[in-house]
Amino acid sequence: MIFKKDISSLHVPHNKNTAGCEPVKIQTPKEVILPMNMHSGGEAEPIVTVGEHVYVGQLIAREEGRFSSPVHATVSGTVAEILTLPTARGKEVKAIRIDSDGKMEADPNMKAPVFEGCDGFLQAVRESGVVGLGGAAFPTWAKLNEATNPDYKVDTVLINAAECEPYITSDHRMMLAHADLIDDGIEYMRKYMSEYLGDATYKICIEKNKPDAIKVLKEKFADKPYVVIHELNAIYPQGAKQVMLYNATGRVAIAGKRFPSFGALIINVSTLAKTAEYLNTGMPLVERIVTVDGPAVKKPGNFIAPIGTSIRTLLELTETDLEKVGKVVIGGPMNGNATVSVDSPIVKVSNCILAFDEKRATLPEPSACIRCGRCMEKCPVDINIGAVESAMKIKNDEKKEAALIDTGVRQCVDCGCCSYVCPAHRPLLATNQDAKWWLKQYERSKQSR
Amino acid sequence: MKKLSLTAAPHINSGVSTHNIMLDVVIAMIPASIAAIVLFGLKALWIILTCVVSAVAAEFIFNLCVKKKQTVGDFSATVTGLLLALNLSTNVELWQAALGSVFAIVVVKGLFGGLGKNIVNPAIAARVLMLLTFASVAGGAAIAPLFDLSFLGNAVPEIAAGATPLSFLNEGAEAAASAPSVLQLLVGAHGGTIGETCAIALVLGFVYLVCRKVIKWYIPVSFIATVFVCYLIAGGFDVTFALQHVLAGGVFLGAIFMATDYVTTPATNKGRVVFCIGAGLLTFAIRFWGSYPEGVSIAILTMNLLVPFINDWTKKKPLGGIK
Repeated sequence: MIFKKDISSLHVPHNKNTAGCEPVKIQTPKEVILPMNMHSGGEAEPIVTVGEHVYVGQLIAREEGRFSSPVHATVSGTVAEILTLPTARGKEVKAIRIDSDGKMEADPNMKAPVFEGCDGFLQAVRESGVVGLGGAAFPTWAKLNEATNPDYKVDTVLINAAECEPYITSDHRMMLAHADLIDDGIEYMRKYMSEYLGDATYKICIEKNKPDAIKVLKEKFADKPYVVIHELNAIYPQGAKQVMLYNATGRVAIAGKRFPSFGALIINVSTLAKTAEYLNTGMPLVERIVTVDGPAVKKPGNFIAPIGTSIRTLLELTETDLEKVGKVVIGGPMNGNATVSVDSPIVKVSNCILAFDEKRATLPEPSACIRCGRCMEKCPVDINIGAVESAMKIKNDEKKEAALIDTGVRQCVDCGCCSYVCPAHRPLLATNQDAKWWLKQYERSKQSR
Repeated sequence: MKKLSLTAAPHINSGVSTHNIMLDVVIAMIPASIAAIVLFGLKALWIILTCVVSAVAAEFIFNLCVKKKQTVGDFSATVTGLLLALNLSTNVELWQAALGSVFAIVVVKGLFGGLGKNIVNPAIAARVLMLLTFASVAGGAAIAPLFDLSFLGNAVPEIAAGATPLSFLNEGAEAAASAPSVLQLLVGAHGGTIGETCAIALVLGFVYLVCRKVIKWYIPVSFIATVFVCYLIAGGFDVTFALQHVLAGGVFLGAIFMATDYVTTPATNKGRVVFCIGAGLLTFAIRFWGSYPEGVSIAILTMNLLVPFINDWTKKKPLGGIK
């Protein structure tokens, strides 16, 4: 790259109110609800029956379908019910409810996995139930497996510790407490995937607004020349993988290509640590750090909670008046998803719970576009956003496809900067996502014809 | 169980709204409006009130007639009315001013689909229409200051006789000698439309808009600089001559408040600079070679029509390319 510039562009208020809050382990909840879709692929299939006793870390649902991931019990107790839960998209998903016996007994047969070679390593990661904890929920073994494709030559592993979304500090706190797990994770990758990732540089990409974590990591990796702590400006959206690739390596991600084809692998820092934890101890992904914050939360904080704990439990711990909550978001305010009810459980990727009061629960009504160009100015990948809206209205499919591709909408990183700055409050991100979905469907239908 | 809101991400916004932006533009025009009243007397106040009230009323009634959601609250009609008022001279009759506002709102904006859909700037289109129908509106009206402005120099009474400084400047070097000084031009103590004369008040508005991040500083500056450079070359590098030309007439008003209108200028900042340079060149061409002393509004109007082409030329290339 001759000239390199930072393409992230939006100064959002950081609101990292909980950066100083040490994660507190919550009291064992009375029950946990574990949905079968806590990963990006097919729904997992329950293998336990109602009334069965389970230990913490016991396998209760196996993979089913592509890019699926196993589910483990997160409390000890009895399986109370196999139920269906409504999702935010209006569908239903199978879930397992476990009544806790309060003992948090781990599986007595649990031991660190024994494995050999790259295949054994990937199989072990597969059994850990770890998925991309940054939000994508893509099974980690599948991501690592991509690096073994002989077509790709991965020379950089980007460890995503940007945590660029406002409010969230769970990765930050994890790094302060478990730098050794990050180290272990890197060593596992180097050892067992030496053929593919042995010579790679490991870049831990972290925003400058976490100086304490940067210091810890720098000390930790001082004597490892292959680990680089790459400091990023604290400007949204550093954590979007295409933006991170560009800002950390100068390479440009091209839409429709698999990420390792750019010579880089990207993995969230908590994902890496959880993988290492499983490989060290045999304890699969059963609990995580959750930041609980938001305008309706009185005493924000970080909590270590078993996956499947209800949002209500966490909000009560922060003295939130549930009557006044108008919206609950899982994830960050820019990219998270609103959830159906406060009784929904936290899932594997729930790094943050945000509660908004009724006033902030709905955004203003959209009005006419005044062509101010703010959306395009803030777009990290320079999509012609205004044109996406008009292209979506074209009736002729072929013309619509050409017009949409011309806008560059396939490059969209889903950061939401456009919607954030729009003075007319137009749902630009949603339109972009619709456009990408339409393009995918259309291309698929063209191929099958 | 209580229903929670399930809106799509993002769940926060910048707090900037169309309403805020338009209100900022109105605030930015207040110094120029005050200057207008001070320099041109109470007639200026009546023109401003007539234009704003009739623009807002026209928008309200038009929305009622076509059964559209009421958009008076976004202040865009107020901006159009006020901007038109600043573009009229005290020679205008109040009914003419009202007619112009109604034309701007109903014909130029409303019939094209309302805010965001209009092709040309409503205030400019209305001004040009009025220029053609009631020629006196943009001509040089005498100033009738509320205060004694004679301390500014002896040229004031001469100017007060009628013509705009541009008509002196365009007559060649000899006539230009009796044109107002740069200081007079900055204060605005010369003939012209009520809002264009006081450069200081307009610059105050400019600074406010830049500080509020409504406009980028380089957009109006590129317009003004283009005109300045053209005259610098044409006038044999006479800085005073070039400055007089930039300060006289509607260059500041046009560059700061009309060439920065989001709707009728290109979508990207690069495109907007191209737009302003084009408008600057056209202004110079009309003034220098044309028979008409003032060229800003026609230049901007012409560039408004070229916006789709400028948008095509200056389109951003998405990172990762189109393949």
